[in-house]
Amino acid sequence: MSTTQVDKSAPSERARKIGGMYRTYWLVMLVAVVALSLVRIATGADDITAANTLRAAILSACPILLAGMGGLWSERAGIVNIGLEGQMLLGTWGAAYFTYNYGPWVGLLGAAAMGALGGLLHGLATITFGVDHIVSGVAINIIGLGATTFLAEAFFSDYQYGGPRQLTGLDGLPFVTVPGLSDGLKSLNDQGWFVISDLAGLLAALTTKVSVVTILIAVIVVLTAWILWHTSFGLRLRSCGENPAAAESLGVNVYRYKYVAVLVSGGLAGLGGAFLALVAASGFTTNQSNGRGYIGLAAMIFGNWNPFGTLGASLLFGYTDALRLRSPSAVHALLLVVAIGLLAYAAWRFYQGARTSAIVLGLIGAAFLVWFLTTDTVPREFTGMTPYVVTLLVLALASQRLRPPAADGQVYRKGSAG
Amino acid sequence: MPAAPPAPGASSTEAVIEAPEVRLIGIGKRFPGVIANHDVEVTIRPATVHALIGENGAGKSTLMKILYGVQKPDDGTIEVGGTERSFRTPTDAIGVGIGMVFQHFMLADNLTALENAVLGAEKLHGIGDKARAEFESISERYGFGLRPDVLVEKLGVADRQRLEILKVLFRGAKVLILDEPTAVLVPQEVDALFANLRDLRAHGHSILFISHKLDEVLAIADDITVMRRGTTVGSAVPGEVTKQELAEMMVGSELPSPETSESTVTDVVQLSLSGVTLTDDAGRDLLSDISFDIHRGEILGIAGVEGNGQAELVETVMGMRRLTSGRILLGEEDVTDWDTRRLRESGVGYIPEDRHRHGLLLDSPLWENRILGHQTRPPSVKGPWINRSGARKDTRRIVDEYDVRTPGIDTVARALSGGNQQKLIIGREMSGDPVLLIASHPTRGVDVGAQAAIWSHIKRARHDGLAVLLISADLDELIGLSDRIEVILRGRMVGTFDPAGVTPKDLGAAMTGGGEA
Ligand SMILES: Nc1ncnc2c1ncn2[C@@H]1O[C@H](COP(=O)(O)OP(=O)(O)OP(=O)(O)O)[C@@H](O)[C@H]1O
Ligand SMILES: [Mg+2]
Repeated sequence: MSTTQVDKSAPSERARKIGGMYRTYWLVMLVAVVALSLVRIATGADDITAANTLRAAILSACPILLAGMGGLWSERAGIVNIGLEGQMLLGTWGAAYFTYNYGPWVGLLGAAAMGALGGLLHGLATITFGVDHIVSGVAINIIGLGATTFLAEAFFSDYQYGGPRQLTGLDGLPFVTVPGLSDGLKSLNDQGWFVISDLAGLLAALTTKVSVVTILIAVIVVLTAWILWHTSFGLRLRSCGENPAAAESLGVNVYRYKYVAVLVSGGLAGLGGAFLALVAASGFTTNQSNGRGYIGLAAMIFGNWNPFGTLGASLLFGYTDALRLRSPSAVHALLLVVAIGLLAYAAWRFYQGARTSAIVLGLIGAAFLVWFLTTDTVPREFTGMTPYVVTLLVLALASQRLRPPAADGQVYRKGSAG
Repeated sequence: MPAAPPAPGASSTEAVIEAPEVRLIGIGKRFPGVIANHDVEVTIRPATVHALIGENGAGKSTLMKILYGVQKPDDGTIEVGGTERSFRTPTDAIGVGIGMVFQHFMLADNLTALENAVLGAEKLHGIGDKARAEFESISERYGFGLRPDVLVEKLGVADRQRLEILKVLFRGAKVLILDEPTAVLVPQEVDALFANLRDLRAHGHSILFISHKLDEVLAIADDITVMRRGTTVGSAVPGEVTKQELAEMMVGSELPSPETSESTVTDVVQLSLSGVTLTDDAGRDLLSDISFDIHRGEILGIAGVEGNGQAELVETVMGMRRLTSGRILLGEEDVTDWDTRRLRESGVGYIPEDRHRHGLLLDSPLWENRILGHQTRPPSVKGPWINRSGARKDTRRIVDEYDVRTPGIDTVARALSGGNQQKLIIGREMSGDPVLLIASHPTRGVDVGAQAAIWSHIKRARHDGLAVLLISADLDELIGLSDRIEVILRGRMVGTFDPAGVTPKDLGAAMTGGGEA
């Protein structure tokens, strides 16, 4: 009886939306590669697309990505988990302890279990006792730091290569290199050709000395996307983050899904800790995560609570981080990239009719351009900030489109349906 | 004629032959300061539509939530299919085949319509193409016109209501509880729904139906139970009672009729829209070239099937959306670019279509809700400060004048029954002598007595010069209150009617594009 027309092309509407999403994704990637390539040729900063830089970028992105995935799981179920940092720390200790005693594979499991323990604590506080999520998260970070420091002192002091604050000489996990491809791509990368060498650098980074854990992480990202969006388990979990009262009124056991989410969340953060202790470094030190849990959370937000968005954000952070470590001079070239990015975005906004924001963006872009043109290096005090500044900048630009789960961070009491 | 409530176990002759599907025996439920239910006795025969009626705050929704396992009763027992049950959660109730449409929507905005429908019932058809096909077939069969992949946040109230109904149908529950499912549906949609309820009944389902529209109740129900002040006060058989008698049983007063008194329309234009057009991101027109004037002392009614641009029209006038082209004047002033706050400060009242999404802070006390939308004007503020005592005093006035049934003004809005929440909003929006009132479904969910009171409030204000833009799915209300009716269809004004000479049938035809205006 309704006059609303039934759109017969409904399924294709969905397909179009998804198709559009992937197209945008690839387009952004392509534009980024071209821009980087242009800047590399213009400035001679070869490091910005060197295979080694990109490999370091991936290494640096991995723990952040795991933290981000952890954040994604819990926030999709409506629990803000800023305790990721503490859960990561628990993971670093777990990785060290279990690797030392039982080998690196058990070490990974142990790290995840320790992280999940932190998640369980957060779940007990927020779900069962209705504690504010931020308060509980902060407490977990403090506990995580305190507990790992204490446990390290208690256990590692007597170990070989151990001390009260570190444990080195742990067995590592295998790396994978694709024979043939890897060398060829690397020499192509050294040629300095426009775009081709840059792409070769990227592929070389993906085929040379890739940790099995990195591969595992890639699988986790894909699995997360599949579980949360293509299974009924995932639908129920997400419904708890969107409208728990409605979920409960349909027979969903909200508490159970929230607990599962926060346990997985802690486990992933713990795995992130293992990556730091076993792959990125070859041992444990206290406070090893050094804020990466928070960065992971930021990456998840900037990734719009979406696994592939979080992946992109983590890679961006990892890239800037790697760049500043490997080649401070390349950070100067990055100014030009930022300027181009901002100006392009300003033009896009202008085209969309958002005048004011276009002008503001244009001015900031111009400022970066002037900075680039009038200086030769970026002061050392600034290079350390690069990853944070870039993340902040992108976050600010993207924030207009971000959409957190509707009931994220709200305390839910069983029986509130209706 | 009203009869005594059937004594448990000894009801009419049919009930002796057939064991009752559901029996509620001596149900009691207390909230702080209120007895929501006491000694409630309801017997639902299998394969019947059982209507539950009663004034606002009578305890209907509470009783249904108890039957659905959302709330636990303090006393009494529930029998389903002859076995005594105690439900700890909705899961238990779903387990014995009960499904419920709540009075207020239970939907997740950021999930698609399909996801909302399959949630909790994934075992039936999965969550993929089979579920989509089932969704589409129900939508088609009932004429809902719902698209599975659209995000719920994009849906208006009527689409949300259709989706809620689709949700229970999707589950194929044996006992369906429908708490005011028709409040925002137009008559054609109600007819389609009723046809399907009859169909379900024929297939052995039992339906519990709550409505304040007595015509609907008489049209669909096999049995009627009346509640007042928390308990069942009588039952009736549709063929043997009239609307008037039902109304009397419910509220103890006569049934009002929305008759207009003499016209109070002046020649002073209060709101003027010219060429208002609104396009969405994809460039489609949501509103095309809408022009009309509302004078002081005039009520302009907008008739239309929900989803044809009413919500967009209201949001555009309220400054919640930027129009693509056109001009809006409030009195002499061009308000096209004004924001909502400025509009409200210049005396625009707004009764939103969805009281939970836009009208109230559910977890705040009533007096804080009184301040909402009036946060810059007395009596809510004094200089830069909130005027606590002024706001509280004025809230008490609203509670008295609009007969909001509540233990006090410190009660949170969530604890009010749906109709009483609505009355509070109307009282708030009518205060401060507005010059223009934008009212979407103003009497949605209020009982017949309160409806008459609200209508007379609006009429009195109109007499004093209030201009009203009225949107309602209740055609009797539209015809009874409006001085002029415009029909909206796919974002265009397609016809003007004089309420004095139009029947609901004519309007209905014009609304679906069937009639020539
Ligand atoms: N969660 C709650 N906390 C406190 N009081 C409540 C709560 N829910 C309902 N009440 C009170 O119980 C009484 C019955 O409310 P209920 O919602 O059942 O009424 P209703 O018959 O459905 O009315 P309406 O027709 O307005 O929807 C009301 O006085 C209401 O204020
Ligand atoms: Mg109710």
